[in-house]
Amino acid sequence: MGQVNNILARLSALDRRIIFLLVAVAVIVPLLIPIGLPVDITKPVKNIYDKVESLPEGSVVVVSIDYDPGSEAELYPATEAFLEHCFRKNLRIFMLALWPAGTPLGNMALENIGAHYNKKYGVDYINVGYKPGGPVMLLSLGKNVGDMVKTDYAGVPIDSLPLGKEVKSARDMALVMSLSAGDPGVLHWIIYFHARFGIPVCAATTAIMAPQQYPYLASGQLVGLMGGLKGAAEYETLVKRRGRALAGMDSQSIVHALLVLFIILGNVILVYQRSKR
Amino acid sequence: MEVLGVWIASLLTLAIYSFLYKDNPFYKVAEHIFVGISAGYWAVILWFDFAWPNLFEPLIVKGNMVYLIPIIIGLLMFAPFIPKLSWLVRIPLTFTMGISMALFITQIIQGDILPQLQATFLPLAGIHPFKVFSNLLIIAGVVFTLIYFYFSKEHKGTLGFAAKVGIWFMMVSFGASFGYTVMARISLLIGRVYFLLHNWLGII
Repeated sequence: MGQVNNILARLSALDRRIIFLLVAVAVIVPLLIPIGLPVDITKPVKNIYDKVESLPEGSVVVVSIDYDPGSEAELYPATEAFLEHCFRKNLRIFMLALWPAGTPLGNMALENIGAHYNKKYGVDYINVGYKPGGPVMLLSLGKNVGDMVKTDYAGVPIDSLPLGKEVKSARDMALVMSLSAGDPGVLHWIIYFHARFGIPVCAATTAIMAPQQYPYLASGQLVGLMGGLKGAAEYETLVKRRGRALAGMDSQSIVHALLVLFIILGNVILVYQRSKR
Repeated sequence: MEVLGVWIASLLTLAIYSFLYKDNPFYKVAEHIFVGISAGYWAVILWFDFAWPNLFEPLIVKGNMVYLIPIIIGLLMFAPFIPKLSWLVRIPLTFTMGISMALFITQIIQGDILPQLQATFLPLAGIHPFKVFSNLLIIAGVVFTLIYFYFSKEHKGTLGFAAKVGIWFMMVSFGASFGYTVMARISLLIGRVYFLLHNWLGII
């Protein structure tokens, strides 16, 4: 008993840097030596996959890059996995960004995945860049795209691009995918775009935002949801793509287990210290 | 050039993480670079994506004088700096409030409140027993949580019990949010470590 007390007393005075070190090891080792822990597919993620599968070839999917480099680690893998599925299904992408720094991230994903499927800019996909204005912009975009979008991200007139000519209003859009890290983001698409024009909306959000989206999933205002890196890993599994999200899942699971252990240990020490008073 | 970018990003990442050991000059340098670049980046974005295409280009290049009105209304925001004219700030403020209310109230009722309310009218018969239980849980969660936020009567007796159940529902929701927050932070760490091991060191 005395030995246990001694260990608990030592643990209660543990330098927090040792915990940081353990977390770092739990992240690095599984990345270097992958274990391949299974990734279960949840219904909200499967719903997005099924929705994309149900769209006829050539349909226009709006992909909204509503994040910046601060959330790149969570949302970029989801962006690539979703684009890969769309291009594989020969769907066309109309990309925009509600966050200023979203445009280059979206471009990077379009160029990486588009090149792999021999997709042509202007015909199979366009990026109209950052569009400020939040709700006002979305309401105008749904009514008449031309009011809000005159050029693409590089300043090329939208009318000179075949896909740009074709997308006139919300009626020409089959689905919206908002990759969202906050405001403006998925809520704007649901409240202002889906409610007004009836276009189905699905989302990939940061894990912090995911719980707030569940009421919208339950009400049917959101078709599906990829929550954080785990959601992206599920989508990568569905589209059979070995991407960055799947590579990180072993680390994620091991660190979670480690943190659960820390929480239990912390509570045991707390109970022990209280009993000593 | 790309290699140089990866090296700069990697060294800045390590400089930021060095704070976990203790505060040091490398961390300070990285922090100041971040603040400076962010300010510069936002200044460029505000000019090229907001002010120029939406205001100054139509006014200067296309000669559309109507755009003088928003400029004047915008400048009135600075009226409080001149005490005699400070009352003029009411004009842009009322304009902004009026537009926002007209736009947001209708759309939030139509796009958020009503569909969410509708989603709580759930069937309790003729479906699988587990679904009945789930629907009951949602209905109870909404009712008891709303009772917690009813402050016109003291939370005693039945009302007090219902409010306590409401707290439990909220606690479960906070727990889920906290769990997701932990997951998000670890994902960001994984992203950075992946960058260091893959893009910088090339060992995975």
